[in-house]
Amino acid sequence: MKKFLNEAERFVPDMIEGILAAHPGRLASVADDLHCLVKGGPKTPNKVGIASGGGSGHLPLFLGYIGDGLLDGCSIGDVFQSPSADQMLEVTRAIDAGAGVLYIYGNYGGDVLNFDMATEMASMEDITVETVLGADDVASAPKTEGQKRRGVAGIFYLFKCAGALAAELAPLAEVKRVAEKAAANVRTMGVALTPCIVPQVGKPGFELGEGEMEIGMGIHGERGIRRGPLVTADTIVDEMLPAILDDLPYERGDEVSVLVNGLGATPKEELYILFRRVARELQQRGITIFNTYVGEFATSMEMAGASISLLKLDDELKRLVSRPADTPFFSQPQL
Amino acid sequence: MSMDVLDLYGAAGAVHAVRLLMDEHRDRLVALDQAIGDGDLGLTMPKAFAAADDYAASASAVTPGKMLMQAGMAMAKAAPSTMGTLVATGFMRGGKAVAEAAALDTSGLASFFRAFTAGIMERGKTQLGNKTVVDALDPAATALEAAAARGTDIRTALAEAATAAEHGRTAARQMMSQHGKAAVFREQTIGIDDPGAAVGALILQGFAASVQT
Repeated sequence: MKKFLNEAERFVPDMIEGILAAHPGRLASVADDLHCLVKGGPKTPNKVGIASGGGSGHLPLFLGYIGDGLLDGCSIGDVFQSPSADQMLEVTRAIDAGAGVLYIYGNYGGDVLNFDMATEMASMEDITVETVLGADDVASAPKTEGQKRRGVAGIFYLFKCAGALAAELAPLAEVKRVAEKAAANVRTMGVALTPCIVPQVGKPGFELGEGEMEIGMGIHGERGIRRGPLVTADTIVDEMLPAILDDLPYERGDEVSVLVNGLGATPKEELYILFRRVARELQQRGITIFNTYVGEFATSMEMAGASISLLKLDDELKRLVSRPADTPFFSQPQL
Repeated sequence: MSMDVLDLYGAAGAVHAVRLLMDEHRDRLVALDQAIGDGDLGLTMPKAFAAADDYAASASAVTPGKMLMQAGMAMAKAAPSTMGTLVATGFMRGGKAVAEAAALDTSGLASFFRAFTAGIMERGKTQLGNKTVVDALDPAATALEAAAARGTDIRTALAEAATAAEHGRTAARQMMSQHGKAAVFREQTIGIDDPGAAVGALILQGFAASVQT
């Protein structure tokens, strides 16, 4: 293992202290707990608070999206570990501005258990909480078992659409509705080239041989759908894209937003090589690209690999995707 | 203490008795959990019940149900593991079910443990027979319901419930784990004691011990 570390046990707190120091005023920890982070500055009265959270090791997920037009707060666990229900509750209390709180997080057992618990504890304090799960990974379960699917990079679109509408002071039910609409229209598939290393473990959680790839691997190294020899970038896209397109399905005449996400160790150059083929294939199928994001949106430590997400747009989602956003890890002007 | 009902002080005494048992069984729970998990259950349960007991001892709640509900909140904060969250959920749901009762008779205890068990099943997305804490709790709730139907006093009822939970725990030995880290071991878990079921049995044992005097 070669990592920039002080002590493995201090990986998460040292990282968060660095982020807070780099972005003074924009982020703040609450309840004297570095794992509980909220947007700096005063709350906007009657704005729905949007909270996410989950294990560390996925930057910019989750805390990188705290800011204008996206999230109001996050609870952060240790690497690949759920934060506690109590940490979620602290964030919920801190961001509630009288209009309730929406939880948007990935569909993983530990996170669901704790966020459900936090919801119950918040209700005892008369804070209304609603939940929308990210479950966009088409490789993680068949479409008929959609409730078992994991949430990966496509959750960005849930943050984006819900965050944009919440910024316009829409009520909780409406913010939840657009988050659900984004969830219903986004699909993702990933591919891994190398494993990642949890600092406190010190060695890779699985082996992936030189010259091998795994299609469909999850962002914690969960087993994918096919392991095989590494093939060309175009061939990889030609395997992944149809699986995404057929799932929703995305059809001729549709308009989409595309997100090509790097898993941590893959350079942007390679992500654009993948996108080149995505763009060409979508054009051939008569699917219009409204806008494209290429970069790191949901990583898995130093895993090499990428994922492709598509969001099918209607007028409402297109408008919300287009809205400006500004956080320490992501900003865009009005599109 | 009256043996007809568990009042606020009686409920605090029950939580205290469970705490003592969790402390006493710490090493056993660590060993049980290490066999099929990561061993932390032996550490989180004493921590969880210490927090619940500390809360119960200083509780300003007016009914035993409300106190048990708040003790659950204290547990969730102190022991944020899966098992800690599940047991905390049990206390919160159980306490909520009997929140208005000034004291718990056998029927109130049956309601408490039924809601306790149902809350854990819902939060943990599990059911009977999956080799979990539920396999000790559910027979105990059933025993309390039967005792309530017969009009049994709480001392006898809790003793019967503790026996039922213990039987549930031993029956779970032959089940196969479906949840958490233990699920990885699947068939290898058959014949091994489940640490969750052991926790369930200790909870009932503590409640029963607190009214024997």
